[in-house]
This record gives sequence, C-alpha cells and structure tokens, in this order.
Amino acid sequence: MAQIQVEKQLPPRKSSLSQKTKNAINGYLYISPFFLLFAVFGLFPILFSFYLGFQKWNGLGEMEYVGFQNFKLILEDPLFWKALGNTMIMWVLGTLPQLLIGIILAYALNSALIKLKSFFRISVFMPYVTSTVAVAIVFGIMFNSQEFGLFNAILGNFGIDPVSWSTSEWGVKMAISTMVFWRWVGYNTIIYLAGLQAIPNELYEAAVIDGATTRQKIQYITIPMLRPIIIFTVFTSTIGALQLFTEPLIFIGRTYRQEGITVVLYLYREAFANQAFGPASATAIILFLIIIVISSINVLVANRIAR
Amino acid sequence: MSKTNRKVQLTISKTFVYALLAIASFLAIFPFYWMFVMATNNNSAINKVPPAIIPGAELVTNFSNVINTIDFFGAIWNSVIVATLATLGVLFLCSLAGFAFAKLDFKGKNILFVAILVTMMIPPQLGLIPQYIIITKLGWLNDLKAIIVPGLIDAFGIFWMRQYISSNVPDELVDAARIDGCSTFRVYWNITVPIIIPAFATLAIIKFMYIWNDFLWPLVVLRDQASFTIQVALRGLIDNYVRDNGMILSGTFWATVPLIIVFLLLNKLFISSLTEGAVKS
Amino acid sequence: MTLKKFFLLVAAMVLAFALAACSNDEESSADGENGGSTDNTESDNESDNTDNAGNGDNVVLDFWVFGSTGYDQLIEEYKEVNPNVTINFNEGEMNDMHNNLFTSLSAGSGAPDIAMVEVSEVAKFLEASGQFYNLNDYGAADVAGNFLDWKWQQAQSVDGSFQLGLPTDIGPTTMFYRTDVIEEAGLPTDPEALAAEIATWDAYYDAAKTIKEATGKPISDSPMLLFNSIRDQQSQQYFNEQDELIIEETVKEAYDFTTKLLQEDLVGQNALWTPEWGSAMEDGSYAILPGAPAWMIGNVKGNAPNSAGKWSLTTIPEGAGNWGGSFLTIPAESDHPEEAFEFIAWLTAPEQQLKSFHSMGLFPSAPSVYEDEAFLATTDEYFSGAQTAKIFAEAAESVVPVYMGVNYSIVNTELETAIMNVAVEGADPQGEWDAAVQRIEQQLSRQ
Repeated sequence: MAQIQVEKQLPPRKSSLSQKTKNAINGYLYISPFFLLFAVFGLFPILFSFYLGFQKWNGLGEMEYVGFQNFKLILEDPLFWKALGNTMIMWVLGTLPQLLIGIILAYALNSALIKLKSFFRISVFMPYVTSTVAVAIVFGIMFNSQEFGLFNAILGNFGIDPVSWSTSEWGVKMAISTMVFWRWVGYNTIIYLAGLQAIPNELYEAAVIDGATTRQKIQYITIPMLRPIIIFTVFTSTIGALQLFTEPLIFIGRTYRQEGITVVLYLYREAFANQAFGPASATAIILFLIIIVISSINVLVANRIAR
Repeated sequence: MSKTNRKVQLTISKTFVYALLAIASFLAIFPFYWMFVMATNNNSAINKVPPAIIPGAELVTNFSNVINTIDFFGAIWNSVIVATLATLGVLFLCSLAGFAFAKLDFKGKNILFVAILVTMMIPPQLGLIPQYIIITKLGWLNDLKAIIVPGLIDAFGIFWMRQYISSNVPDELVDAARIDGCSTFRVYWNITVPIIIPAFATLAIIKFMYIWNDFLWPLVVLRDQASFTIQVALRGLIDNYVRDNGMILSGTFWATVPLIIVFLLLNKLFISSLTEGAVKS
Repeated sequence: MTLKKFFLLVAAMVLAFALAACSNDEESSADGENGGSTDNTESDNESDNTDNAGNGDNVVLDFWVFGSTGYDQLIEEYKEVNPNVTINFNEGEMNDMHNNLFTSLSAGSGAPDIAMVEVSEVAKFLEASGQFYNLNDYGAADVAGNFLDWKWQQAQSVDGSFQLGLPTDIGPTTMFYRTDVIEEAGLPTDPEALAAEIATWDAYYDAAKTIKEATGKPISDSPMLLFNSIRDQQSQQYFNEQDELIIEETVKEAYDFTTKLLQEDLVGQNALWTPEWGSAMEDGSYAILPGAPAWMIGNVKGNAPNSAGKWSLTTIPEGAGNWGGSFLTIPAESDHPEEAFEFIAWLTAPEQQLKSFHSMGLFPSAPSVYEDEAFLATTDEYFSGAQTAKIFAEAAESVVPVYMGVNYSIVNTELETAIMNVAVEGADPQGEWDAAVQRIEQQLSRQ
C-alpha cells in the first residue's frame, strides 16, 4: 500500500529534468503565500520580542539595554519554575488524556452502525464553540469551593470532604485541567474522525473475512493508517499545552494565583499587568526553547510508538 | 466464531458505543445548555444556590436588551464576512502548501517545513503591540482586512493538510496523472482536492470557529462600532461596575447559533464526501 | 462536481481580496506621503477635512468612553451649541478601552482625541505624561475649583504641575445593610442610629459578635470589602510618594483586623463578583456590605430583585473611601487639544454632571451639585427610602486624598490572595502576610 511509506521521501520519478524543475518551481510557488504573509505580519513581532528580551521597557517610556539581566531575573524567580511545573502537570492531567479519549470517541463516531451521527458529532464538538464567557461562569459554578458546588456535591455523595477548587494546590490544577480537557477533547475527536474516514472500509472488511478481532483491526489497520494524524495531534497539543493560557486566565482570573499560573500566564502578567515587557519577552524566549526541545522529543517518541 | 456469538458481540459493542457517545454528548453539551438557561434568566436566578437549571422567562427581555445595547446583527454580519473569507483563503492556501510539502520535490523542503512548524512554537501573546504597529502602518485600523489577512497565516493548517495529503493521496495516483500529462496544478486540483474533502471540512470547521470566537486581536484593531465583529461587540455588554449576566449570556448564546449552522453544513460535506469517495475507489 | 465551483469561487474571492488589499495599501501610503502621518485612514480623512476648511471649522473629535455614561445624549446637546464640532462617540468595555489606549500610545498611533481613564489606571498613564496634553496648559486650573480636591489630585503629578484629566464621576463608599438581619440582631435599623451605633471599627467588631450571637450570621460576607474599607481611610496606603512599599506601617492593621474577624468566623469567605457573593445579597445571609459606592446600588438591585425595602444604607465607620470613578484625558496625538479641552470642560461642569447623575446614576465629583435641592431630595424606595444622594455626598466630602502609585495593583492582587487563603484555607495570617510581601517584592524588583 502506498500509504505505508507516507513519511519517507518520494521515490525518484521517471520524469524528465524539466518536470523536476517545474515541480520545484511549483513547490516554491505553492508555499510562498505563507512565507510572504508571515514576513509581513509575523516576522517583525518575533524580532521585536527577541529584541525586547534584552531591554527594560514599560511599554510607554524609553527602552534601556540590560543585557541578560531579564533572563537572570526569570531563571532565578521561583515562581517561574513553579509556573513551568504547573504547566507540565496540567499537560499530563488535561491534555494527554484528550488524545486517548479523542481516538476512542472518533472510533465510536466512525462506526458504520451509529445513528444520529450528526447529533453526536456536533454535541462532542460543542465545547469548542462555547464562548469563554459562558465557560468561565459555568465552570465557576461547578467548581464552587463550598459544599453546594456541583463537584463538591458529587464528591460529598462519596463521603469526600469539599475541595477548595479555587485556592488549594491540587484543586486549582484539577479544575483547570478539567476545563482544558472539556474544551479540547471534541476538537481532537474531529481531527481523528477526519483521519478515520479516509480509511477505506474494504480494509476492515477484508480483515473481518480473515477473522481479525476488533483489537487486531485497531492495532494493524487503524493505528498505522492514522499515524500522520496522530503525529499531528501529539505535536499540536504539546504546543498547545505548553502555551496554556486561556483556561487558567478564565479560572484564576487576574489573581494570578500560584497554584494555577502557567508560563504564558506568567509572561502575560509580567507584560500587561506589571508592565515589565523585558522579563516577559525573556520568558517568551525561554518558553520557545523549551517547546522546541520537548516537541522534538515528543515527535520522536510518537513516531516510535505509532510505528 | 459462530454467527450468533458474533451477533451478541455486535449488540454488546453497539450498546457500549451508544452509551459512550451519550455520556460524552451529555458532558459536552451540558455547559452549553446551561448557557442557554442563563440566557433566559435574570441575574438573581443565575446566582442562586443551587442555580437555575431550567429555562426562565427572560428570553425575549434579555435579547432585546442585547439588541438595544449593541448593534448585534451588524456585528454578526461583519463576523460572517471575516470568518468566511479567512476560512476560504486558508483552505486554499493551506491545501496548496500542504500538497507541495507532501507531493512535490524541491530543495530545502524539509527545512522550510520545519520552519513553518517552528512558527507555531512562539507564544503569540507578546506580538500584540508590534502587530498593531504593522496594521497602523498599513492603514488597516478599523478595517476587517486587519483580521482577515493575518488570519491567512496558518501553520497549523499547512501541517494538517500535509499530513492528510501524505497519508491519503497515493503517489501512484499522482504519478499516473502525470503520465497522462496533467500539469502540477491539475494534479492538485483534479486529483488531490476531491480526495481530501474531509480534511477541508475539518479545517474549515476549526478555522471558522476560531476566527468567529477570537476577540483578543480584533479588540485591538477594531475600535469603531461599524467594524466590530460579534465578539468585540459582545464585550460592550459588560458594564464597568454592574454586570447583567443574563443579558451577556443571551448575546453570547445567540452569537453561537450561526456556528452551529455552519457546522451542520460542513458536516454534511463531511459525510457526503465519504460516500462519494467510497464509490470512486 | 459542486465542490469545484465552490472552490473556484474561493480562489476568485481570495484573488479579488488580495487585489483590493493592494490597492488600499497604495492609497494609504500615498496619504502618508501627503499628510506626513500614516495613522489610520479615518483620522487621516478627518484631518484632511479640517485642513481644507482652513479656519478650524468642523473639528472631529474621537472620544473613547466605557460603561453606561449617557454621554451620547449630552453630546447631542453640545452639538446644538457648537455645530462645528463633531464628536465620534465610541463606547466599549472598561479593560478593553484601557488596553487599546495603552497599545496606541505604545505604538505611537491610533489614540483618540479624548480618552476616559479609570482611577485605578491613572498612575500608569501619569507615568507616560509625555503622551498626554498637560491640561494645566489649557486652563485646567480655572475649573479646578469645581471639583473635590482629592478627586482633582488623583489625576495630578506629585508636584501638581501636570494635570492628566478632568474628573467625571466618583465612588465614595458607604455601608449598605440588610434591615431584616440588623433588626433580628436587635440593632437599630434607622440609618443615623445605626451609624451612631457602629461609629468605629471596634464598634463594628462588637456588632459582629452581637449579630453572630443573635442570628448566627456573619456581619459581612466578603473579607476583601472589609479590608478595602479600612484601607481606604488611610491617607497613605501601599506606597509613599517616593514609591517605597510601606504596607507594614499603613495597611497591616486593616489586614490584621480583617483576618481576626475571619478567624473568629465573624466574616464570610465570599470573593467579590462570584455568584455566591451575588446571591448572598438576595438571601440576607449577612448583615452589612461595607465599602459600597453609589454604583453598587445597581449590583444589589440586579442580584436581589426581591429584596426591595430590606436594604438600607448609611455612613461607614471612621470616614469614607473612594472606589472607582474616572477622568477624561487628551492624548498628545490629538490635533485639536483646545477644542477637546473645551468639550470635556463643558462635559464635566456641574450642570452636566447633575444630568449624568439623573440619567445614569454617575455620582458627581463637583461638590456644588451637592447643594442642589433636587439632588439632595433623591431617595430610593429599594433602600427603605433612604436619602441616598445625601449620604453619598457626605461620604464624598470625608474622603482623604491618597497617593496610589503605579504598582498599586501588584500589591492589591497579592494581599487579596493572602486574605483569601486565610478565609478559605484557614491559613496562618502572619505567614500569609509574609509570603505576600515576598511575592510583592519579587515583582517590584523588575520594575
């Protein structure tokens, strides 16, 4: 099957040299809009951030060159490390489970026998559509720290004491992770679903004739066929998790509580609440480096597992 | 395996699948339903402990408050324009670039692709001020172009299209078309596009929803009421010191209705493309 | 196949759109060459208009406002007298408007001719005084006497030489109370009698114990409001004029008092703006809402529509503070500072402030209004017929001027965290205080 060698380089074609050149020209042409647009709108902000990392600036006054001072301040700030730790923990709690549940849901949604497909699809995707204002209010009520809060009431039924969702170390993280999971699982499901739909039914049918079990079908057909999509979701969700911002902002608001602060929230506070654009930019650069390292490792691992 | 055995197994797994989907749907929809409930209640009912769980009587009042406070339909129209144009543009540009990365050979391809991925890794929050400077230099303040054009930059979309095309468009098909004398663009247009319709539908859904719900950037560049997108306009429902949550959530709720319509339309494309593809192969 | 048609359409649109974008691009750069500024196209057109007209006819002023001010009606009135001035009224959410102003100033373009700035943001923009017109240069001193001194000073540089804005509304604080709970506790429900009964914070503490014994309810539900009330009575709060952190000497007492009541269970643990904070207003689950300014009336009525006649209000012990209120400023980008000043001087004059009070409840910062008969006669049946305007006006005159400093919100956020930790987690007050001070110093070291 052609699909199996997806990640590899294309085999050399029999076509003439001029065809090759044509291909190259077309290739550059087709990808050029991105780079042109990026050069106009994306490049300057990045260079600007990088420059700011070495300046002291409050956003309104004069800039002052301070060398690596900002990086030193950030790396010596225990709160930065706390924020990084929080980000990692919430990645494990909120983002990783999405991928697994997303595949399962997509698989269920894709099974031929299911009726009400449209209904289930749209309902699973609904959280992505729900605006943050509503999410903030609804989750605020559900994660109320007092006994009558929805989650505390549920826990109470099992004889568990009420949790301080808005102030305790693990309560805040659990609440934010739940919100992240809830908002994004449907999104990943839709992505997987698109991948699953492209797998021809004949493959499964042939496998069934050969007497394959469901598990074998998943292991030998679904997963390998989905590999590029899985790599895609692992990659994008890793970046998303390390740049986690909206959900903690919604949940802990502008109190920037240490239990729930993430790296991006930390840099956002530096820039837009404390007007310290230098340290904020330095944080952005450090985070960027961390993301490069982690996503490289991640893709390597995903490549290996999915193979 | 006997036939009856398989049948039993099938029923069990079917039940399981339905149960799973029902639970997931309930959990996913519930907060949304609650938003609707709050959109039909007044503040005191929203804040009650335990909160209202069935729709109240303020549906009309709340929404007419919304319309009296902001130009709701004008802003919806702006959002439709912005989200539609940005989505269409992204579908075209990303599929073209994704096709190039998946099926064409050219020097530096891998490095350029990695470069695109790297752009996703930069936290975007600090770009606000420099990006704003560019928009003012272009004279695009209060202009919907300020949302649409930067919205066309979509590394995510390129990555997605590249993955999808590489796994679903067989090289043999591309080669065969070439031998038949198809130009590269024809290979993209006549061969690739029809196969990747589910990928289009997915990207369209995601992009449209994203642009529709985005407000951080539009807030910065749209300052004139006439240019407001719906999310910017909805901000106008929040008063300095006194909050009418019923009204705010009413506006918020009705602003998601067009999204549901768009989803259903694209979902149709999603399903029909599947059957079409099956017939073809 | 229909999808192809659809796709052709897409491509055509993208192309058409790209072309449109290009042509516009040229236009605006041409504009830039002629006019010397590449701001937004709109303001370019505006300044063109003025230039063509020559002698300052037909001035267009962009005016950014947040909240419900009712200024659009007043602008209509102004237009009748000044037909040559067109005012572009732009309303938005408070934080958004401040952020947009900040971004515009930071980028050097896009600021309006007149921008409303809330008191908590004043210090930040005062730091960038080069980006604003000094209103003293346009005759601010002549109208200074119209306003309360403390309010005037809030938008002034420390030495008084720079005036950032003209005052609009204010938020002098009083205390709202549930007459039913107060009565149950055996305390007087008449505003004056209750104010006399609870004239000091010590008396407040005693009343808290009385209420707890009689009703089992806390005196207040929000520890932050109690803390804010006492803090706002201090003439120095978080920083001195040299921007040194002085909380140990100034607000520690307020913190200790608040946490003492918390530990004795005399104050609830609701955070501001949460649903339970809102519903408690209807439930009557506590007795007193301290530190409440005039705009809080709207919140109480919205959250507790069925409690009409169960609320009243009176003077807060040991003098009022101020919470909220705004100023009108003129960013230096404006080409028409004279016209802008003329307009905002008119808009903030006592007569217009009175109108804003009657239409939208904006509490006036001009003390001459407080002598107006109709103003003083304002009562509110919801608040048991109390003379609301009179009580707020008295509060307004007892507010002490205070220097806030640009880093005020850093301190406030961390102290709030400390207080909520004591309230919810039952943490040790001194330990939380020390931790908060450490967090504050960590952030201040970057400034």
